[in-house]
Amino acid sequence: MDIVQGIFIGFQVAFQPINLLYCFVGVFIGTLVGVLPGLGPAAAIALLLPSTFALTPVASIIMLAGIYYGAMYGGSTTSILVNIPGEAASVVTCLDGHAMARQGRAGPALGIAAFGSFIAGTLSIVVLTLLAPLLVKVTLSFGPPEYFSLMVLGTTLVTYFTQGSMVKALMMALVGVLLGSVGVDSISGRYRFTFGIQTLMDGVGLVPVIMGLFGVSEVLLNLEHLASQRAVYAEPTGGLLPNREDWRRSAMPIARGSLLGFFLGILPGAGAIIASLVSYATEKRFSKHPEQFGQGAIEGVAGPEAANNAAAGGAFIPLLTLGIPANPVMAILLGALMIHGLQPGPLLMQRAPDLFWGTIASMYIGNAMLLVLNLPLIGIWTRLLRVPYALLFPFILLFCLIGSYSVSNNVGDGIVMWVFGVLGYLLKKFDYEAAPLILAMVIGPMMEEALRQSLILSAGSFATFVERPISAGFILAAAILLVLPLFTRRSVVAKT
Amino acid sequence: MSKDLTSGLFWFAIAVFVSFEGFTKLKLGTLRQPGPGFFPFWGGLFLGACALILLARSLKSRERLGSGAIPWPALILVLGALLGYLLFLETLGFVIVTLLFLLALFCFAEIGWIKHVACSVIATSLVYALFKLWLKVPLPSGLFGL
Repeated sequence: MDIVQGIFIGFQVAFQPINLLYCFVGVFIGTLVGVLPGLGPAAAIALLLPSTFALTPVASIIMLAGIYYGAMYGGSTTSILVNIPGEAASVVTCLDGHAMARQGRAGPALGIAAFGSFIAGTLSIVVLTLLAPLLVKVTLSFGPPEYFSLMVLGTTLVTYFTQGSMVKALMMALVGVLLGSVGVDSISGRYRFTFGIQTLMDGVGLVPVIMGLFGVSEVLLNLEHLASQRAVYAEPTGGLLPNREDWRRSAMPIARGSLLGFFLGILPGAGAIIASLVSYATEKRFSKHPEQFGQGAIEGVAGPEAANNAAAGGAFIPLLTLGIPANPVMAILLGALMIHGLQPGPLLMQRAPDLFWGTIASMYIGNAMLLVLNLPLIGIWTRLLRVPYALLFPFILLFCLIGSYSVSNNVGDGIVMWVFGVLGYLLKKFDYEAAPLILAMVIGPMMEEALRQSLILSAGSFATFVERPISAGFILAAAILLVLPLFTRRSVVAKT
Repeated sequence: MSKDLTSGLFWFAIAVFVSFEGFTKLKLGTLRQPGPGFFPFWGGLFLGACALILLARSLKSRERLGSGAIPWPALILVLGALLGYLLFLETLGFVIVTLLFLLALFCFAEIGWIKHVACSVIATSLVYALFKLWLKVPLPSGLFGL
């Protein structure tokens, strides 16, 4: 009866007018961020984090979560109409979505993307609702060795799911771990790698790093395309509602996409992007007419859009039950919880049931809002897309500047953002991915603490990690993932 | 130099530095009581090992960074504007640096100088209203008290 009671509390919290308002603000901004290419949910949430300090923890998490899943809705609009992914997880939606738009079927494409997102989003929250409390029961029994091994597995998964070289992803994760060790050592109280710089005493700030890596560097990369004009626009003509035939073809892709997306969303590093790619590949294989893919097959829109929304729901599982972020957005939400004095992890459900259940309940409401919000507002979004990037990017940068400064009224954080903006640009140019770095930077300090505590508990014996069965399982899984690519060519992405 | 060679050397240097610092300055401690340098030392060591793998592989790869692909003037203007904003934010104040920042970056829009100035002024006022008046973010007023 725990779950029923929890959900009841959750809806009571989520239906408070103030929380409804912030849920709306969140999904609205999320859609906007999703629609606009060159500004992703990670950077946007980092930007808005300081402005939530004054809110209650529940309201701020509800809003920030809304931005995340809202962006998944918005991204499809740009993919379909402009053939540019508004958000990374909508890359494959360009293929068939824009093809449909060119055939004058932009309306049904937008419609099925919105309905598919809604169905998948809601399904994934149902599973989240049922699964999270069960997982909490399991994870409550975890000690430092289990946590350490789990985080090793998490970091390995992040590198396994990379779209580029696995060695490079592993390096990024290690760089992240090392960045996480900057500042005061929590056990000995000594400063590490601060070089006498005041800003670094509390560690490298997550918010400026994310704004640099995902906000500033993205703008720098886009400077190359300033001169070239945007692709052809397709106007949504006619009705937005998919017809009976569209529904018949989309039903199974949406169901499969929801399932795939949810479980890939849980895994650290996999997330919405991989989920959408895998869904596209799956639908192509299941289809009786694979040759239609890329020519405007509605399955190619419905499946991936369902998958990326379901992944957004799945990603909350590790955060809410373990306190481990599955992607950069979850890393900032983790930071946001800590700023409000809440320690994410298995105890969150007991200590802050209103926040735990309120956030979950708000996601049901938010998804419904998005469905209502999205379709009638398509006109506004298309007008927004006509604003030239040259006018848009100064604002993105300005918001990054103000955001990084206002985290703690410190110009130093702005400088950190600048440095990571340059670093992010170089990483892209040299074919490195930034996501493993962010995740490892957040997980790193937790991992270090767990490792050192484990060693203290075991009197210096590493055997503790393989003697405890759960921990041994995690380590084994991590080892398999690291060795596997040597024998088989990974081709999760290559198949699409 | 190929991309992987350049970046591999860079990360290898970082790894050596971190491990060295961890070993000498921060101290490793013992396995029963790991010290502050323990984790960075091993992290650095693993990073170094990965960098070596990358370097070994890079001998085969020929992929270079296309120098023509980098829009230097735009890049320098944007990075300079960002840095200038941060360096002068507290002395000149939020309003003035924001206006200067937008005046500099709207250059890319090529909209004629009247629109250019008007856009900058209007945008500055809107941003001021949004952050300072509505969200009450404490932003520095600087020298002129703006």
